[in-house]
Amino acid sequence: MDLTPLTQMHLFPVRHHSPRTTAVLSRWLEQVRPDVVLVEGPCDATALVEVLCDARTVPPVALLGYRTDGTQGSAMWPFAAYSPEYQALRWAREHGARAEFIDLPVGVTLTVKRTPESSSAPASGPSPVEAIARARGYRSFEEFWEADFEAPDWRPEQFRAVLLAWAAVLNMQPRDEVHRQRDAFMARRLLEVVASGVAPSRVAVVAGAAHVAAFAAGDVDLALAQRLPPAVPSTVTVIPYSFPRLSEQLGYGAGNRAPRFYQRAHDAQGDFRRATLEVLLEFAASLRGRGFTASLDDVLESYRLAMTLASLRDKQAPGLDELREATVATLCRGDASHADAFLWKSVIGHQVGQVSSRAGRNPLQQEFWHEVDSRWLPRMDRPEPFSLQLNNALEVGTSVFLHRLRVMGVPYATHVGSTHDKRNEEQAAGGITALGRVRESWKARWTPATDAALVEKLALGITLEGVTTRVLQARLDAAKTTGAAAEILLESVLTGCSRTVDAALRAVDSHAAMDEDLCSLASAARALFGLMAYGSSRTRSELGDDAVAALGQRTFTQALLRVREACGSPAHDVFLVSNALRTLHEAALSQPLADKEGWLAEARGLMASTEVNPTFSGLAMGLLYLARELPEDAVALALERRLSRAVAPGASALFLEGYLQVNALALVRNREVVRTLDVFLRGLRAEHFIQALPMLRRAFGALSDAERRHLLQHVTALAQSNEAASPPKLDAKEQAAMRDLNADLGKMLDDLDGLL
Amino acid sequence: MPDIRLPAETKYKTELDALAAHDSRPRPPGWRLSPRAVETYILGSDTPVGGVKISPKYVGDRSLVQVCIATLASDRALMLVGEPGTAKSWLSEHLCAAISGTSSLIIQGTAGTSEDHIKYAWNYALLLSLGPTPEALVPSPILRAMRAGQFARFEEVTRTSSEIQDALISLLSEKQVSIPELGRVESAQRGFNLVATANTRDRGVNEMSAALKRRFNFVTVPVVEDLEQELRIVTMREAELRSEYATGVPPSEELSRVLLTLFQELRRGVTLDGRTRVRPPETVLSTSEAISVLFNSAILAEQFGTGEVTSQELAASLLGAVSKERKEDEQALRDYMETVAKVRTGPWKSLYAESKKLLRR
Ligand SMILES: Nc1ncnc2c1ncn2[C@@H]1O[C@H](COP(=O)(O)OP(=O)(O)OP(=O)(O)O)[C@@H](O)[C@H]1O
Ligand SMILES: [Mg+2]
Repeated sequence: MDLTPLTQMHLFPVRHHSPRTTAVLSRWLEQVRPDVVLVEGPCDATALVEVLCDARTVPPVALLGYRTDGTQGSAMWPFAAYSPEYQALRWAREHGARAEFIDLPVGVTLTVKRTPESSSAPASGPSPVEAIARARGYRSFEEFWEADFEAPDWRPEQFRAVLLAWAAVLNMQPRDEVHRQRDAFMARRLLEVVASGVAPSRVAVVAGAAHVAAFAAGDVDLALAQRLPPAVPSTVTVIPYSFPRLSEQLGYGAGNRAPRFYQRAHDAQGDFRRATLEVLLEFAASLRGRGFTASLDDVLESYRLAMTLASLRDKQAPGLDELREATVATLCRGDASHADAFLWKSVIGHQVGQVSSRAGRNPLQQEFWHEVDSRWLPRMDRPEPFSLQLNNALEVGTSVFLHRLRVMGVPYATHVGSTHDKRNEEQAAGGITALGRVRESWKARWTPATDAALVEKLALGITLEGVTTRVLQARLDAAKTTGAAAEILLESVLTGCSRTVDAALRAVDSHAAMDEDLCSLASAARALFGLMAYGSSRTRSELGDDAVAALGQRTFTQALLRVREACGSPAHDVFLVSNALRTLHEAALSQPLADKEGWLAEARGLMASTEVNPTFSGLAMGLLYLARELPEDAVALALERRLSRAVAPGASALFLEGYLQVNALALVRNREVVRTLDVFLRGLRAEHFIQALPMLRRAFGALSDAERRHLLQHVTALAQSNEAASPPKLDAKEQAAMRDLNADLGKMLDDLDGLL
Repeated sequence: MPDIRLPAETKYKTELDALAAHDSRPRPPGWRLSPRAVETYILGSDTPVGGVKISPKYVGDRSLVQVCIATLASDRALMLVGEPGTAKSWLSEHLCAAISGTSSLIIQGTAGTSEDHIKYAWNYALLLSLGPTPEALVPSPILRAMRAGQFARFEEVTRTSSEIQDALISLLSEKQVSIPELGRVESAQRGFNLVATANTRDRGVNEMSAALKRRFNFVTVPVVEDLEQELRIVTMREAELRSEYATGVPPSEELSRVLLTLFQELRRGVTLDGRTRVRPPETVLSTSEAISVLFNSAILAEQFGTGEVTSQELAASLLGAVSKERKEDEQALRDYMETVAKVRTGPWKSLYAESKKLLRR
């Protein structure tokens, strides 16, 4: 095919989201007055030009293309009011010209994007444009662009020439295959328009500078278009967009860095000084609103500094960098954190776009209904209970889906836990217990609120996984302790969000060493080990199970380091610390990876220590004894020492309480132990006995009937041997009385229990 | 012994002269150099100016230096704030030397700084014999700077009393000093300005008034985050110190790197690979402190060691620096050695061993 018509068309190179480009382009279109305006953008979205240009559509908005074959995949083409493509469409509409998109259809773009070869990252080191910017003394290409392209007031012809020259320089680098294929695809569309009878001189083309440079140079290999992959099933729609989201579109640069600032520059016909002053005024007002002093004087000083800085840097007008630096030095008195917290908001903005009419389901709704239909889940507005067997991929998948909705806050299904406590239901749905579950009970009910929530959540992402990931990520960012991070780790596993699994692992990791809270560390360690034992196949973590194992080990070790301090300080909640110690003990004994020796050493230390709360010494001894790490005579010896008269009775009681907490059997198994206890109790003075009574009641109250009987046998046996040493001997009758007494004693203990 | 601590304008006279001779850009009133030439002086230049190599003085963000210069060029007083040992005084000295040709019009702020120090005092002998005459008046560095159209320096402003800070406000807003005893008012010549420094660790002791803050533009001099950069700074400054004092032996790059890695990790509270958290000590582990630890090791090695800086000298100097203020810091260092240094290879091994000896006692 003949490429000459390409060079006969009116070609306008753009940088996406550049207000200066837009300003120059508008003037240029007035000069050229084309009949047809062809714009870079997915060609199957041409039908949406009407929606984009509708008076009720307010940018920022985006074209959203996504796959409809059940595979993940989507792409967005955002437009701000200052995006040249958007202005080109509007100009066409206002002037009765035909407007069309000319780039690859969505279905092709989505496959191309997924092909790894095309995404081959540029070699290490700064890209050529960055290198040029640095050589010119700028810190980044963006700063260079802003100073040399955005700030000056260009005439259309100059601007076109400069941009084309730039693009030609860039195109001397080997270009990405996909870009050349897109050149070819777009060129074909252009030629088709000419072939349909439009004179090339009546056509205006608005596209990225690199493409336009290729058209202008006739450097297009039309055959390349044939190499494009076939389109996958897809559809495209218009969705509202927002300035904050626009600013997240890294890689585009230009106006995306600070949409509100560039919108102001756009509104001021490219006057960046005015935009600077406006932002400063707004920023000062927001500082005042927060109770800081920010006078008009400060604003003017700030403006002056921005201007001086710009001129020091040979710039025609201040840009974002000068704006920021001047604000920090003046209004923020050197504190950049204010600027980053507030100024950045004023330059990014929070505006949300609007899309005219156009109903239809959004991608989240589509995914939701697809899942509900294919999994035969309830779709009516009435509660329906059902349960899932978590031993097959299908039902695990359903579980993941429902947990995602739960985490997202989309009202649909509630987990029916074993607990009757309503407040705990939410908590019980996730967490460590959920991991071990083989069966889950749910109750589901669709309401209009379900769909409403799905529309709302679209702002956070376009897939359930994406939104859940974001929600979890936000919670993770807010998580202050290892335990909290570990909880999110578990949620991530339940919801199959591999990205947050990794992030949460890292968060647990980084919190762990700084975390001084034994309880948080212990529960994190348990969660990590639990993950190893149950959920490893569901973690889908890139880091792999080894990472979880290593982290579990480290967290466990960290927890061990905190044991002493937690047990020694009166500030800690005894109940929580006891739980943490038991958690560590369980993990040490049951998890091959846990540092068992380390724990045992720690526990022995606690047992021997007189610095810590005696409850923990007792508890540690009980645990050690139970784990057969401590011989019986050692227990008896320690008890004797702890319960001796030399020790304050209060401390003895606490020690005993800790010890008895573990497992009463540990107490009643050994006669020597019982004897020591017996001596201690008998020796207590009345007032001390009363003090110790609540504790004793707690301890003995936990005994089962069998254990009580066991204990009493020991007590009676001891009594008998005492008697044996000192005549007279009990005769048969007295022995019978003694047996009765035993029964009475047992009953008394029961009564005591009920009484206290 | 020669005066080893020469002021910057003397020590770098050759550079300053060369810059002035080849400076074609406009200079603000009273400035010896154009803003661009000042920037070159502070940050150094790879290409010699008039055959003179311009050495870097401050190593860091160009834009920070530009904001300082733009502030001073727009006739605003400059306040350099930051953690201790981040080169605030150093920057102030060099800015004043380059712009005004003098860095010695300096006031050291303390709780005892009085109005005499910032305005004028009297020579009592002359006052008694001549009465209140201009000859008997002893001008403060600020008054001298005003008369000469030069920059004055005010170190540690936040340590002065609020009365002094109030007096400073009127000095800065009116740019004049009234001398009622002589019945006259002296106004600043163009070119007068003030460069102040304040230590963020001092704040709260004497919180600056909002009115005073409004007279300044603030530039926060940051702690150096990048290891390579800090290594460059420390190596450069330590070598300069050795040559100034003509003592010490050069420490190896490897050991310097170990030291700075340790400094950065303790400062951040986490190892550079982000894997292990460590507890930061209270002592400020500034760049300046790193320079003196290294310099100290260099002297120890020469005076008492083998003539080569080893982990032994480094550990000794380090311990002196870190735990001189607080005992808890010694614990922090011990923790670091046990959790981080112990498992590393190469020079860390010997550092661990040496410090273990010293820490055990
Ligand atoms: N970025 C840097 N570039 C060059 N030198 C540096 C840098 N950072 C620190 N230094 C060196 O550190 C030393 C300490 O600097 P200086 O005394 O100016 O610190 P300071 O910020 O004024 O500290 P303080 O608050 O304690 O007064 C100087 O020798 C200086 O050369
Ligand atoms: Mg200082």
